[in-house]
Parts: sequence; structure tokens; C-alpha cells
Amino acid sequence: MAILKYILPILLATVLTGCYEDFNPDVDTKPVLCMNSLITVGEPIYVYVSRSWLFTDKQAAGNHQVTDAKVTVIVNGNVVDADYLPQEGDKIYIIAESRTYGTATAEVQVPFAAPIGKVNLTPTVTDIWKGLHYEMLADITFDLNFELDVVDHPGYDNYYNLSYEKNNPDSNDAKFTLNRLDVKLEPIFKEHIDVLESIMVDEESYDFLYFSDQQFAGKAYTLHLNFTDNYYSVSSRYYDESLLDCGITFCLSTISRSYYNWAVYKWNVTEGIIGDLAEVGLAESKWGYSNVSTGAGVVAAKSETQYTVSLKEFLKQFF
Amino acid sequence: MRKLILLTIVLLIGFVSFAQTVTVVAVAKPAATVFRSIAEQTGMNFVYSADLLEEVTVTVNVKDKPLKQALDLMFRNTDIEYKIKGKNIILKHKPDEVQKVKKEQPVVGKLSMTDSLSMSKLLAEVTVVSRLESPVIETPEIGAKKMTANEIINTPVLFGESDVIKTLLIQPGISEGQEGLSGMNVHGGNADENLYMLDNVLLYQVNHFGGLFSAFNVEAIRYIDFFKSSIPAKYDGRLSSYLDVRTKNGSHDGHHGSGRLGLTSGAFNISGSIGRKTTYMVALRRSWFDVLTIPTLAIINAANDEWTNRFNYAFMDLNGKVTHRFSNRATGFVSVYYGNDLLKTGSADKENQIQYGWIDNLKYDFNWGNLVAQVGCNYRFNSDLTAEFTAAYTRYFSSMKYDCLTKIVERDSTQKIHEINKTNNNINDWIFRGDFDWSLNDDNRIRFGGNYILHSFLPSRSDRNYTIGSTSFISRDLTWRYLANEANIYAEDDWHLSDRFMMNVGLHLSLFNIDGKTDFGFAPRLSVSYRPVENWAVKAAYARTNQYVHQLSQTYLSLPSDQWVPVTRGFKPETADKVSVGAYWSSDDRVFGASVEGYYKTMRNLVDYRDEYYLQSPIEMWNAQLCSGNGTAKGIDFKVEKVFGKLTGHIAYSLAWSDRIFPDKNGGHPFPARFDNRHTIKVLLNWNVSKKVSLNAAWVGHSGNRFTLLPQVWEMPDFDNGYDDEASLKTPINNYQLPFYHRLDLSCMLKNHRGYWTFGLFNAYCHMNTVAIRRTYDRNNNPKFQKVKLFPIIPSISYTWQF
Repeated sequence: MAILKYILPILLATVLTGCYEDFNPDVDTKPVLCMNSLITVGEPIYVYVSRSWLFTDKQAAGNHQVTDAKVTVIVNGNVVDADYLPQEGDKIYIIAESRTYGTATAEVQVPFAAPIGKVNLTPTVTDIWKGLHYEMLADITFDLNFELDVVDHPGYDNYYNLSYEKNNPDSNDAKFTLNRLDVKLEPIFKEHIDVLESIMVDEESYDFLYFSDQQFAGKAYTLHLNFTDNYYSVSSRYYDESLLDCGITFCLSTISRSYYNWAVYKWNVTEGIIGDLAEVGLAESKWGYSNVSTGAGVVAAKSETQYTVSLKEFLKQFF
Repeated sequence: MRKLILLTIVLLIGFVSFAQTVTVVAVAKPAATVFRSIAEQTGMNFVYSADLLEEVTVTVNVKDKPLKQALDLMFRNTDIEYKIKGKNIILKHKPDEVQKVKKEQPVVGKLSMTDSLSMSKLLAEVTVVSRLESPVIETPEIGAKKMTANEIINTPVLFGESDVIKTLLIQPGISEGQEGLSGMNVHGGNADENLYMLDNVLLYQVNHFGGLFSAFNVEAIRYIDFFKSSIPAKYDGRLSSYLDVRTKNGSHDGHHGSGRLGLTSGAFNISGSIGRKTTYMVALRRSWFDVLTIPTLAIINAANDEWTNRFNYAFMDLNGKVTHRFSNRATGFVSVYYGNDLLKTGSADKENQIQYGWIDNLKYDFNWGNLVAQVGCNYRFNSDLTAEFTAAYTRYFSSMKYDCLTKIVERDSTQKIHEINKTNNNINDWIFRGDFDWSLNDDNRIRFGGNYILHSFLPSRSDRNYTIGSTSFISRDLTWRYLANEANIYAEDDWHLSDRFMMNVGLHLSLFNIDGKTDFGFAPRLSVSYRPVENWAVKAAYARTNQYVHQLSQTYLSLPSDQWVPVTRGFKPETADKVSVGAYWSSDDRVFGASVEGYYKTMRNLVDYRDEYYLQSPIEMWNAQLCSGNGTAKGIDFKVEKVFGKLTGHIAYSLAWSDRIFPDKNGGHPFPARFDNRHTIKVLLNWNVSKKVSLNAAWVGHSGNRFTLLPQVWEMPDFDNGYDDEASLKTPINNYQLPFYHRLDLSCMLKNHRGYWTFGLFNAYCHMNTVAIRRTYDRNNNPKFQKVKLFPIIPSISYTWQF
């Protein structure tokens, strides 16, 4: 076995030393028009028109504007003006034309907002310190477990995005810190991941809050949202109920399929294993998802529903 | 590079026909032992009925004499005659002679050629032999190849592991796919279009370790038959090629075997007899990376206070076979093959180091492989009709499991979160088949038979189990198990119309019933051969093939995530029509040969992942990500070879085209196949320098593989936080051809009295070939393209101990 001492380092050194070589491929690259837009119910439509460029063209990477583009928006078959505000169910067709880069078109339907149904909150205090000198002096650490019902709009393939933000008291005497949502606790946020990916991907590294109604079409689904180790700190000589005015606002967006596809694509290239394998020639290359006719750009739409949960009653019990 | 090609050509032109010599010194030794010694020296095989040499001993003394002279001497004045066909020495009793060979009588002999008799008729008992025994010029087959274990062992390959599939890659018309891996793309086909059979039973999983090694242990192999152009009617079920691997029977002359230790695996095989009528063979191969990784990891884990890592990989395969001769008419056998890859990884936080917070215990388990168990019988009804009956069970299995147990330790309590994701893909087949071989007369040899297969398919099914505290979420995707019935019948005739004109005509009919629908396959086969002069043959062939199952793979690696799936509702069976023509030349002494073969193939209903398949949810039916389309392949293969002598080998050149068209891929436009290698040159040289030393070289050069290069980017919005990113602009699939690929592999075999050393150099002149193009940034954040190169020079060594 002594011979292994000499062989193994050679083997390991050779096997593990793949390498790279710089080069410029001789390929024909004609720029095309790129069109991006996120259409939101009740808000004016903005369409961002640019162009594609050769990856190694650093100058174009810094400036790929298109100055001669004309954009036309057609809603339910009629051309609309710039002051048009989109409504749920509108079918929107956008055309961008440039004499230099040609024409790009895209179509999207504005989805219907999904109501947020019942919301249950179960707070659990994990640590508390209270001072005696002030009427309000405390550091409280607590977990927040929400059960939030999403009511799916029947008759459509719906896609959703959940976002949230904390509401802080309007004072420097109190501070509410909300930790990141523990995505791990809600399986529906992982429905886009196949098993190979779920095995290969580091779960801690993603924050994907998109899902579809595929498992609850036309019904309600209860999201389990868990925020751990949240923190509330207050320091006020006198009792002031407004210092307890903190909470969380959930925003449930019903999003177009193009929006959802964009999110899944982004997840795949940043977190997925297939993208890594493609880079070393062991899987097919992945191009960017686009629903624009030129293959460049994403035109998406969304409708939002918001729901605010106040923590005031929960915090009140400590003072 | 040019110098290298020139050198290789000069070497080949300089082929000298060395007469094969042997040294045999034996006094009253069992004949089989003497034959084994000759086989080891020459690479020739002895084919004979077991009862032919019962209690026969040999006394002979020849040193460095030509093989023919040694054989003449051995069989002189006996009732045994021999015939050399290809690389086989066939022994049989002389016709009309009843004399028995007496015990202790020196066996010496005389040469007698009986060209018109088929191999099976030569044998006193029914024995399975290759249908490719005769030189290529004497058969109607196009693109067929028989190889023995010796030929496979003598082909240099990666890590020094003799490999059936990688050896075939040196043949013309076969693309190796991704460098170093066991992909095999035959005449522009896909990697899943090759049927692998082990003793007449199909195998699904033929790779170990992501494709670096094939699942066939060469120690257990007797020979392989490979067909890629004219397909005998017996075979159907894949579009491109058929590999029929036959395992060894145990030897009758005592217990023999070998043990091998290489850099990546060790192998052990033993065979022998149990009594006079029963033989056995066991061959076991196992990787031994884990012998290194387990203690190494234990040391690393002991030094790490915070967590322990988990890693264990091993592959193994086991071949076992027991053969019993009931009579001269009947031989039965029971055999088993089990091949398995096991990969376990993960990590665990050390609980005693953590008082509060999260404690994770992650386990990733992969397990995939193939099991074949069969019982069979070879029966000779009379001297003209033999049969092989087989009942078999084959199971392909692949499972992946993710198991994560998280403990959230708090001051007063501990919360447990347990997540288990599993996916299973398996196939269970029960196979019953009968194959008959009937020599109707001297001019017609008819093969016919049929089989029934009960398939049970489970395409990738995922189970997700999530438990937090006392609450569990359990989900399972919509995939279900499919039962399928497959039945096949076939008949073919090897018809010698005249001394110059031969034909093989056949028909294979199949039925595949699944998911409430039944597909029928009609597969006519025809190959004809005409010999205008003794040393020349021209051939033409037509073959239709059908395929009812296909393998889906997201990567070019062989991973447990690859799925074998049947053609269910919404998909039609894959079919291919292939027309081949060829011209062949052989020298008078059959030492040199040359051939040119052309083909045109159309493929229909091919199945592949659709563009952007990953956008389809994995919880949808498995076939939602798929689409079907067509393909064509055409090309011409040239080959010059030297078959006998100290220096053997071949030079082959292929000119080929292969493309695909799918309505749901590439915007419905045609695109070249990934392994559309326009020009391919292959050189194989085996030089038996002396009885103790042999040198082997294989050089491959071909136009680069096709690659989807995405040169342009566009500004992708970020709807979440407003930071834009770049995304690649879609381009035609496989729009870029990678640089010319070339590689030289060398091996050297040094024999001693106990065994042999094998030294190998994969990619001997260390030309690292480009396998992909990637985009990246330099230190100053300037974007650039880079060629990705994978394998440098890789040395290997192994020792095989024979006993």
C-alpha cells in the first residue's frame, strides 16, 4: 500500500484541476429590443425600453438605452393614452418600435386580487426583561406564528407573491424589530423545487415567497408564517399607548404567469444546481425567461391585497 | 497535432504481419488448462462442448511455434479437429469417427475446415455463441462488432478501469458524448437509444459514478455482440443500437479466478466446477473511495467542534452464475446481477456544543442501480434446432432522499422540525422469452422467438413530509404507477442464396399496452450481402426500430435524478428507419480488412424536455415538461483494420450529420444535435511486444460538440427590490461548435507469472479539451468568455492477480 502514498496525490491533483481559458467567440450578435414593465392595478403603466448587447461589451453594459422607441399600449383591443390606469382582468398588449432595433411586443392579463381571509396570530414570548423605574421599560423577545388564509379566485390559474413589512411606533422611545420570515416552515414556498434541487440547494440561502394555486385551485389555503426572535424595546417614563402601535402588514399580490416565471427563472439561475452544471457543460444552458417577442424583457402584472396585523393588544399585557 | 496524426498513420502503415507464436509445455495436463494458457498468450478463445474433453489430458512441448503448428501437433492422431473462425478456435469430434480419446494419451491433431457449418452445429452440446463469429466479409451484417473480454481489457480507458462501453466508443460511428462519461451516441442518436442486454435480459442502469464507469464488470464477460446498422430481428426496443453482453460460464478444469486492485476499485472473481456437470462463476467489483473518505472524514470531524460532515460514496456490482448440464441436450443456468451506487452526504451540528438556537441534522441519501435475476435453459431438440428459454426479473431503482431534522432549543423548550423529501423512480419487469435457432438446411438458418414483459413503471414520484411539533404536512405529487404489457415476436432467416449472395431477412412485431392505449410496432429488417470476388463484399440493409421507454435527464451526467419513463397517453412510440450500405475488403489471410459504411436514419416521436421546462411545476405530471419531435442522421464510416498479429488495431474516419426538429423547442426550427460531430478520427493500436508486455494506444479526434452559446444579454428587471440584473438572450439551440477535440490514451500491460500490472495514461499528452463556454468577469469586473476544460492527464495503475 505504500505506493498509494505517491499515486493518490497525483490522481487527486489531476482530477480536480479543470481549467479555464479566455477567448472571444466568433458569433454574430445583432441587438434586439428589450421591454420591461410591471403593470399594477390602479397605477400608470411604465414601459422601460432598452436593447440587448454582447456580454463582453462593457460600454453597452453601462448604456443600452434606446432613444428612438415608440410605445403603444392596447387594452382590451383599444389603444389607450398615458393616463390610463389598469383594472383587474384587463388584457394589455404593448408594442415598442424602434427604427434601429426593430419591434417588440408582449401581452399580459391583469390578474384578479385574492382576498386574504381569516388571519390567526399566536405570539409566544421567549424572553422578557422589565424595568421598574419607568412605566414603560422593557425588552421583549417573542415569536410570531401566523395562519393566513389565501382565498383563490376560481376559474383562473393564479400565482401569488407574499411580502410583508413591519409597522414601527412613531417614536424613538420604542422600537420593533421583525426577523426574517422562516420560509422553511411553509412547504408551498418550495413547490417550484424538484427533489434534485431540494437536495442540492442550501435552504438557508433563499427567500422565495412565490407560489401558485395548483394545490388549492378555487379554494382557500392557509399559509403558515413564522417569525422567530422578534424584539420589542420600549423606554418611556410614562405610559403611552401609541408606543405599542406596531404590527405587520402583509401584502398578497396576485401576479401574472410571466411574473411567476420570472421569479422561478431567477431562483433557478441563482440557487438551482442545473445552472451550475450548465456552466461547466454538464447541462443545457439556460437563457433568461422572457414573454416579449424578441426574447428580451418581461412584461408582468399584479393586483394587491393588504392586511395589517396589530401587535398592540399582545404587547399591552406587559404594561 | 499534425505530427501526431502523421506518426499514427506511419505506425499503422508500418503494420507488419507477425505470425502469432505460442509456447506450451505440458505433460499429462488437463486439456482445458492447456487451452487456457494458449488463450492467454494469443487472445484466442476455445469453443467446445464440455463433454468433448472429459478426462482428456495433453502432453505437448512447443516453444515459440506458430499457433497453427502447435494446434496441429496437439490434435494429431486424435478424433478432435479444430477450426479457426475469427478469434475463436472451435473444437469438435471429427465426423464419422467413434474412437474415444484415451486417458493419458497425448492429444495432437490435424486441421480441418468446415466453412459451411454454423457455430452451434459444430458443438456437441447446445452452447450460446456469438452470432458474429464469422469474419465480417462472410456475413450480411453491417455495423456489427463482436468483442471478447481480452479486447476490452486491452483498450486504454479513464482510471484504468476496463470498460465495455468506452471500448465501443473507439469504433466508428459512435460518439462518446460528454468527455470521460459513459454516454454513447450511436449514429446521431441519443444516449438512451441503446439497448443493453445481459445474458438476454435488458438492463436500464449501465453506469456507475455519474457515468465515469460502466456497470459491466469485464471480469465476468465472455463476449459482447454489438449492432448499430443492420439490426437482427431478435432485437427491438431501442432506436440506435443493441449491445448483447454474455457472461462467462464457470470453467470445468478446477477453480480459477483473479483479484484486481486499481486506483478506484477492486474486483474479485472466481469460477470453477461443482462436480462434473455444474459450474459456477462469481465476479464482484466494488469501489473503495470510502476506504479513504471515511477515516479522513472522521479525523476532520474530530477536529471540528461545531459540526460533523457526512460523506460516503460506493459503487458495486455482482455477477453470479451457476450452470448445470443436465444432458448433452439441455443446459440450465441461474444468474444474478446486482449493480448499485450509494451516495450519502450531509452534516450535523454537534448538540453538546450548542445550548440555545438551531441544531440541524441534514442527510442526503442517493441510491440507484439495477437488479437482474434470471433462470434459463438451453435445449437442443436435434442437431438442427436449439432453443434458449429465459425467465427473468429486472428491477431498476433510483431514489433520492432529503432528511432534515432541526431542533430549536430554547430556554424552556425544544421544538422539532422534521422535513423529509423523497423521490422514487423505478421499473420492475417480469420477462419470459424463448429464442429458437433452427438450421433448416445448409443455406437457411432461421432464428425465431418471442417474449412477454410485464412492466411496472414508477416515473419520478415525490413525497414531501413536513412535521413541526405535532403538526404534519404530507404531500405527494400526481405521478402514479403504470402497469404495461409488452409482447414481441420475431423471425429471421440467414439465407445463403449462393456462394456469393447472402441475405438476412426478418420481422419483429411488438405490442405495448399502457395507460389504456395499445401501440403496435412493425419492424421489418433486411440485410443483403454480395461478394463479387472472394475478398470483397458489398452490403445493404434496412431496419426499422421502435422504442417504448425513454430516459429523461436534465444533465449530461448519469444521476439518480434521471428517469426512465414509458410512452403514456399523449406520446407516441419513438420509431426510426435506417438504411445502410457498405463495402468490405479483407486480405487473403484475413489479417487486414477495410470497410466503408454509409447510413441515413430518420427518427420520429423523439421525446425531450421542452424549452424552459423548469418553469413547469414539479408537482405537475412528470410529462408536463416534455415534448416530442423528429430527427435525422446521416453519415459515412471508413475503417482500416489489422485483426491478427502482434500489432493489431484500426483507423476509422466518420463523416456525419445529425439534427432535430421539435415544435416546442427552438421555436420549431431545426437544430443540430449536441453530438453532431462532423468529422471523427479514431485510431486504436494494440502491440503485443512480447509475451509479457503489451502496449495499447487509442487516439480520438473529432469536430467539437455543439453547445448553446448565449453571447448576448439584456436588462432583466427586478420586480422585488429594483436592482436590475442581466439575463441571457435566447439563441438557436446548439448554435456554437466547440473546438476540435482530440485525446490520446495509453496503457501498458506487464505480465508476470502470477498476474499482470496495468499502467494507463488517460489524455497522455494532456490536451485539455473544451467542454463548454462560460461567461465570467475578471478581477477588474470586465466581462469575458472562457473555455471550460475538464480532464488533464490522468495516470492509473492496477494489478491483477490470477490463480
